[in-house]
Amino acid sequence: MLKGFGNILVKELKELIRDPKILLGMIIVPLIMFPILGGVMGYTMQSAREQAEKATLLVLNNDGGNWSEIFVDYLTSSVKVSVINNITLSTDVVLELLSDYNATQFIEIPKGFSRNMTDYVNGNTEINATVNFFGVFSGGGISQEVGSAIVDSLMERFNRAVAPNAVYAFKSTIIKGQIQEGIDPSILSRLMLSQAIAMPITIIILLTYSMSIAATSVAMEKEEKTLETLLTLPMDRFAILMGKLSGSILVAAIGAVAYMIGFNYYLGSFTATIPTGVSLDLVSLGVVPSLFGYLLLGISLFVALLSALALAVIMSAFSEDVRGAQSLVGNIITPLVIIPALLLMYVDVNSLPFALRILIYALPYSHPIIAAKAVTMGDYWTAILGIVYVTAFTLVIMYVASRLFATEKILTAKLKFRWFRKRAKKTTEELQ
Amino acid sequence: MSENLSLAVEAVDVIKVFGDIRALDGLGFSLKSGEIFGLIGPNGAGKTTALRIVSTLLLPTSGTVKVFGIDVLLEAAEVRKIITYLPEEAGAYRNLSGMEYLKFMAKFSNKNRDEVHEMVKGAAEICGLGERLNDRAKTYSKGMKRRLLVARALMNKPKLAILDEPTSGLDVLHAYHVREIIKRYVQERGVTVLLSSHNMLEVEHICDRVALINKGKIVAEGKPLELKQQFGSANLEEVFAKVVGLA
Repeated sequence: MLKGFGNILVKELKELIRDPKILLGMIIVPLIMFPILGGVMGYTMQSAREQAEKATLLVLNNDGGNWSEIFVDYLTSSVKVSVINNITLSTDVVLELLSDYNATQFIEIPKGFSRNMTDYVNGNTEINATVNFFGVFSGGGISQEVGSAIVDSLMERFNRAVAPNAVYAFKSTIIKGQIQEGIDPSILSRLMLSQAIAMPITIIILLTYSMSIAATSVAMEKEEKTLETLLTLPMDRFAILMGKLSGSILVAAIGAVAYMIGFNYYLGSFTATIPTGVSLDLVSLGVVPSLFGYLLLGISLFVALLSALALAVIMSAFSEDVRGAQSLVGNIITPLVIIPALLLMYVDVNSLPFALRILIYALPYSHPIIAAKAVTMGDYWTAILGIVYVTAFTLVIMYVASRLFATEKILTAKLKFRWFRKRAKKTTEELQ
Repeated sequence: MSENLSLAVEAVDVIKVFGDIRALDGLGFSLKSGEIFGLIGPNGAGKTTALRIVSTLLLPTSGTVKVFGIDVLLEAAEVRKIITYLPEEAGAYRNLSGMEYLKFMAKFSNKNRDEVHEMVKGAAEICGLGERLNDRAKTYSKGMKRRLLVARALMNKPKLAILDEPTSGLDVLHAYHVREIIKRYVQERGVTVLLSSHNMLEVEHICDRVALINKGKIVAEGKPLELKQQFGSANLEEVFAKVVGLA
């Protein structure tokens, strides 16, 4: 056990919990953040809708009759459609066709469609015409939800133009290469939306909070000159670092829980649109992470959090007061944490251009978000490789942070930084 | 060798460079066990840098510093076991009460609860803050805070207490109280004190010996009375002015 660790940790918790600025942040920040989030969601929905309208809808016409031609013409006039004719349907065929046409949504017009439509239009409304709809489930998210909703709206508009409830879509979802009959991908997506959004939001809140707390905790010691006293005490200097990191993690976790409770109310507006009486067992569908998946997710989140805190401590070493530390840390939070989290909230990392994909993978704080989606889909290797990468990054950062505390650099870093700037200025002047 | 071991602090030819600033330029002084030694000089003379090196916060660029024979560069952790350091204008943790602050600090020296209790009780007597010790440090005046911190620096009976400008910024009454604490405590407990001050008059009253520091070098060293006699001056301020050629 590190000498002095427990003593430092208790002091850190007392100091942080009693700080009115931190308590204030827990109330004021949500009031600012959630309206902004609402705006981002609106924009996201809009762009997801635009993307979904551009996506290819695969239509298999096994009927060939008059009404099926009318239905296909209607679909063609509304969205981008690829039509194929007369193929006997099986799971393999569906998957092969979706892969060949690079599509995620598929409608089969079965034999007898035109006959049923004719009967229905002529007044025999006991039997309506059925089409089979298949949607590929890729882990939920806003774009998937919007994509399914567009098919629903197409059916509704067709029925409104022809006859109410004339065409009924029997919906199935393709999950991990298996067709789950009767499962509406749209409803499934809505249920999964909370998972797709929850992790990026957790990352943003947890990291922003804890980095800010860790930076404040070190900067406050420098500002009040209590750090100098601490560094001359008979204790392990690494315990100071670990005490500060642990204190920040605990307080940030309390803050994150408070946020997530509030955020659940916010998410309620999405799940409220799920029709009543719908019951889906997500576990049996295999779209809930296994215990091992949750474990990986926990580890991924923890190492990311640890490296973020150590990074914040390093940044705060270059400032002499709280304001300077907050400003330095604020500058790195937006590009390293917030932007990738918002991006991954509605875009699959694999759909990004190569350079951007590499950039997202290089950022350690995008890995828990990528891991959340991966473990849901049973892709453990993506999560494990992410953990290995972030752990390596964390070890480097922790080493740098511990060296800072072990040497005089924790006190003189700013001085050297100034000297460096002065040198840079001098060089610039000489060049002028 | 045996003479060296009896020295509380021995600094030899210490140089400290920050970028292009030479904060200490061949500084050398020694301190006997049980004495109050004052490093005095104007702002920017190198007093704080010297104290920070003795207290293991900074590393000398060259030269050696030993505390009771222990090298601050090679055995910093051992040095920290026998010293306490009070930085200039240091604060206490704003959201801890004075009592909590003292307990927090005492726990680093003691594992036994009774010992911690005794140490905190002693510190409470030294600072004389009474019931105010239960209030949070952010409600303290500058003088109260300084009394608390001086008590903290002395409560664990260090072999060497390093006090940087212990009365800096305090009014007459608080400065008097702090000086009394230091004098009384050293007499009672036999603690060695290395302090810095730019107030040369106050140093005359409290220090057994002083060293005058200017531009990172010791320019004169001795007992206040001897220095005054040597330079034919009425006080140390005049001595300093004569030494650096201002008078």
